[in-house]
Amino acid sequence: MGGDYSPLAHGIGGRQDLPVPLETAIVAAVAALIVSFVVLAWTVRRHDASDEPMPVSPVRERPVPRVERLVDSTAWRVGLRTVGMLLFAYTVMVGVFGQDLEINPIFGIFYVWWWVGLVPFSLVFGPAWKAISPVRTINAGINVLRGDDRGLYEYDEKRFGYWPAAIGLLAFAWMELVYPHNSYLGPVRLWCAIYVAAMLIGGQLWGTRFYANADPFEVYSSLVARLSVWGRNAAGRLVVRSPLTNLDTTLRPHTGLVAVVSVLFGTIVFDSFRDSIPWLKFTQNNGFITSHSWAPYTVNNLALFVFPLAVAGFFCAGTMLTGVGDDLDRRRLPVLLAPAVVPIVAGYVVAHYMSYWWEGGQATLQQVSDPFSNGGNWFGTANLKINYFFAYHPTLLADLKVLSVVIGHVLGVISSHKRAIAVLPRKHMITGQIPLLVTMVGFTVGGLYLLFAA
Amino acid sequence: MRRLVAILAALLGMAGLLAGCGGSSSGSNTASKTKVIHITFSGSSVTPNGARVDVKVGQKVEFVVKADTAGQIHVHSSPEKQLDYNAGTTEIQVGSFAQPGLIEVESHALDKTIVQLQVQ
Repeated sequence: MGGDYSPLAHGIGGRQDLPVPLETAIVAAVAALIVSFVVLAWTVRRHDASDEPMPVSPVRERPVPRVERLVDSTAWRVGLRTVGMLLFAYTVMVGVFGQDLEINPIFGIFYVWWWVGLVPFSLVFGPAWKAISPVRTINAGINVLRGDDRGLYEYDEKRFGYWPAAIGLLAFAWMELVYPHNSYLGPVRLWCAIYVAAMLIGGQLWGTRFYANADPFEVYSSLVARLSVWGRNAAGRLVVRSPLTNLDTTLRPHTGLVAVVSVLFGTIVFDSFRDSIPWLKFTQNNGFITSHSWAPYTVNNLALFVFPLAVAGFFCAGTMLTGVGDDLDRRRLPVLLAPAVVPIVAGYVVAHYMSYWWEGGQATLQQVSDPFSNGGNWFGTANLKINYFFAYHPTLLADLKVLSVVIGHVLGVISSHKRAIAVLPRKHMITGQIPLLVTMVGFTVGGLYLLFAA
Repeated sequence: MRRLVAILAALLGMAGLLAGCGGSSSGSNTASKTKVIHITFSGSSVTPNGARVDVKVGQKVEFVVKADTAGQIHVHSSPEKQLDYNAGTTEIQVGSFAQPGLIEVESHALDKTIVQLQVQ
């Protein structure tokens, strides 16, 4: 068969979403802009009202003891771990014994169920990957055999934090967006093997804390899970909160958080951008790029790094351009305010992958019934008719995409506002928020532009 | 806080309303005229080179390919189509597309996007 099939582009068979209509994008951008300044005006009013320190509103949350009893029960936890291990075993099976064909379910499992599916599951159920992570389960198994639960060393969270995860996320994005042979079995299998090996070695060296910091999928999933309604209070009880409260109370500044957020946002923005007409015209018409065979690949590689760097650069500038008191180091500001970008990223991720998850997820469900590409129907889903709902309702899809970007922006702005109040000295409270606000509006409008242009 | 929520709700409602008005222009226009797209290959270059072409749902599409050597064009619809052309001029009936969406037409040998068909 060889090179007869194309890389798995976004959307089955490469059919992609229609661009969002210009009117929709503009309305959304204006809404985002107005909301941002309403939130800022809100500070001004509250600021003028009194000279007292801002009252800290009590955390509104509701304990859910019944659900807690269920999810903390051994049966539940073992059940989820079993689900994770079964998925893992199936993936290993098709990776090792499956054929190198486009219909091998490993591609759908890798690019759609795992990478894209992580987000909706974490948004709805909380930290989903942590609960089923097969690398955590295998690590626990090794620890039982060793008779020791700890790693050899302490993981230095202050120093390394999320940095290993940021590198892992970039490695995934490279595989998905840049590597030309990403729809061949060999490379996908190799990527997964390196991931599993790194995770198991890391788990033995640095204990389970390694997974919370270095497993790209766990960090991504747990980050998105802060926008779910599920949380734990200080006493470790399971509570239901509003997503915004959950984000504000649970996401603490963490080394490498800016890097993770920038990689996620930057690579997904690049994914949209590389299909846009200006980028195609540039890479396909530029004399230098077209006359050197290595140039297109190099340009793509460079772009994959430049986009996250640009996101990080804008964000750091936006947070640091403020007056600070003597007790606050300006360089601490990006990491202190980074949690506020998480909803913007999540909103854009949802918009970007909505139809891909719907159609690709179903196609994968169809393919898993035939693991060895010989016409099998293991789970009875091989003849499933894919429902192309979003393809036939492009206006609804466009509205949902734009709505999710705007909701993400609103949550992000409110969250950054709360954090700025807590962090910035009173004198700079209002002016200090403006550069960050401009950055966030820039991210949102940029995202909307790409939904319109790409 | 409550007032803020009210303002947000009003704005989002407005956005939805406006968006709803914007996108409802497609009538009952199936299979009018065949869309003919001229494609020229010469050496390692191709024209058009990353252009976007509007196509209606159900409209027939035809490629008229002029090339110096034979090759293959990939149409990334679902299912995908691989279309062969010869040296000289080849007329290819691509057929029509039932689902709205953006469909890339590529030359894998050149690793270039020729056109994107915007089907709606």
